[in-house]
Amino acid sequence: MPTGSCACVTGKSTDLGDETDESTDGTALADMTLRDLAQTALGNLGRHKVHTGLSAVGVTVGILTIVTMVSLGIGVQREIVQAFTSVGLETIEVRPVTEERTVFNQFTDPQRLVIITPDLVEEMRARDDVVYVRPRVFLSGGGMRVYLRIGSETVEVRVSEPVWWDSANDPFAKPPEMVAGENLAADAQGQIIVNTSTLEKLGYDAFETLIGQEVALVLVTPRSDRQEFPLRLVGVVDTHTGTNYPGAYIGVADAAALKAWWYNDPDLLERNGYDSLTVKAASLNDAAQIVALLEERGFRVESLKTTLDIANRTLSIMQTMLGSIGGLALFVAAIGIANTMIMSVYERTREIGILKAVGASPGNIRLLFVVEAALIGLLGGIVGMIGGWLLGLGLNAGILTYFDYMDVPLRGTFFFVTGWLVALALGFATVVGLLAGLYPAARAARLDPLEALRHE
Amino acid sequence: MDDVVVRTVGLARRYKMGDAFVDALQGVDLEIARGEFVALVGPSGSGKSTVLNLIGGLDRPTAGEIWIDGKELSASDEKALTHHRRQHVGFVFQSFNLLPRLTAEENVALPLMFSGIPEKERRARARELLERVGLAERLTHRPTQLSGGEQQRVAIARALVGQPALLLADEPTGNLDTTTGVEIMRLLKELNQEHGLTLLVVTHDPEVAAFADRVVRLRDGQVNGFRG
Repeated sequence: MPTGSCACVTGKSTDLGDETDESTDGTALADMTLRDLAQTALGNLGRHKVHTGLSAVGVTVGILTIVTMVSLGIGVQREIVQAFTSVGLETIEVRPVTEERTVFNQFTDPQRLVIITPDLVEEMRARDDVVYVRPRVFLSGGGMRVYLRIGSETVEVRVSEPVWWDSANDPFAKPPEMVAGENLAADAQGQIIVNTSTLEKLGYDAFETLIGQEVALVLVTPRSDRQEFPLRLVGVVDTHTGTNYPGAYIGVADAAALKAWWYNDPDLLERNGYDSLTVKAASLNDAAQIVALLEERGFRVESLKTTLDIANRTLSIMQTMLGSIGGLALFVAAIGIANTMIMSVYERTREIGILKAVGASPGNIRLLFVVEAALIGLLGGIVGMIGGWLLGLGLNAGILTYFDYMDVPLRGTFFFVTGWLVALALGFATVVGLLAGLYPAARAARLDPLEALRHE
Repeated sequence: MDDVVVRTVGLARRYKMGDAFVDALQGVDLEIARGEFVALVGPSGSGKSTVLNLIGGLDRPTAGEIWIDGKELSASDEKALTHHRRQHVGFVFQSFNLLPRLTAEENVALPLMFSGIPEKERRARARELLERVGLAERLTHRPTQLSGGEQQRVAIARALVGQPALLLADEPTGNLDTTTGVEIMRLLKELNQEHGLTLLVVTHDPEVAAFADRVVRLRDGQVNGFRG
């Protein structure tokens, strides 16, 4: 066909430009809409419910783990931050510095090298940038035993200063419930409040009638030296420690007096100083300045800010580690999805051939399978999300019940699911599915239509 | 030129079978005019299906050219092949190749989905074509609920839904009994005569070939004769 081929050649040269244009047009032709894509993918998944479900389980486990763990991290972090900010990050804890224990001094009380003197307390109180100053004397150690006497009855009690003046030492402390009378003032002297356990042990149940009564704390040394410290009972507080142990609370001046007598050293406070000092600064900046000043004088200083920073860092590490366990589960899940999709490509080879014969492009086929895989991921992610959230709620309820049972004064939401956690978890699940689908989808897209059509 | 829908020039296809090469086609020159009904016949292994698959863009030639509507089909360009399958040709297979989970209407509408045509329009066009092939009452039936002849009618409707320049049918009556086969051929003939559809039908059945305007005989990968 010489003429024919000649015509073709001319035709070819003139049509070539058209053809390239058309070809570009052709590739730019309207393609499958997203809606059709999603509907088709969902339909395909719906046809293989068991397949889909089983391969989504892996993602569910992974996301459940991640959501539970990360929500625990977020919850605990929130609780800590909340507790710390309610106390105030401007709060500074000052401790005396004691000599290090060595073989030579291990049986004696360690000497204090830098002490919190009453002068220091006064100096802090005088500062403009200080809101309040709370020195403390700890009445523990040294074999000290303290008894409370009301009338002729005595009972052994644990004596401490009320930590709830400012819950600096215990951010999670429940505020006390006054059963009768009033709480101690911060500078209380000659006053005492006791807990209900103490009074019950002494056989009282009408607490109101005891308010205002003269009572006494009694110290007895091992050699039976005995000293009474008369105090006025101003309040009764509900037992709030977990032990139901009889307890009493007094001001710092009285505590210092008890301690001085016990150690037989009237100058104890001058020589040894207070056992701790809480300084609340007016602002974070002031706090930083005071911390610097005290550190310069050789004190061991802890500000809640530094503690919070450490807590945050620890929590972040914990969260990352726990999250990684979920990540590992997701990796296994991805392999599962990839396997499902490869099987699916094999099973649907003929269908892929038909789709290609009626005009599906390799891109259409690839997209269909990738979307299916991503949807498996998303589906598993949604179930895992809800599961993780419910598990968190359950664990939280369990922990609170346990705390109640153990009388631990801790409350709060320890598993906290935030919006970004939901978004991140679902996004992550989808991406895992999508990535797992890439290879099977590429295989499906590459299939030769003729061979696919011959496949049985 | 305008009246030529398909022209192949020196079309060759070589397959690798293990270490040996098999020349399925050895330079086939073929021309099909617009509105023509051509039957491609020949003994099995003569390469008639290969010609059909090459013209349909399901396979790529080893050598030679394929011209569709005056434009050469660039076999190296996957996008161009997809475009060709979507726009220029419609396939009818011996084994119908319908998707079993889809209804007749959905099967016919399926090709339009890949061109991004809205579902409403797809369904409308599918219904129109199913009516034309005589299946107006079978829209919501799935392939398993249809007889072989009905399935092939659905397949023909599907092949036509993209308004192709050319309908390619590979042994369209091969899975049907004689009566049904004749009915299908009558339908194709009717589409050819009343709607000017260009048809290339591969068959080994002389009765089927008898419906065509022209018969092209292939033997050993070469055009061996004409009739018509």
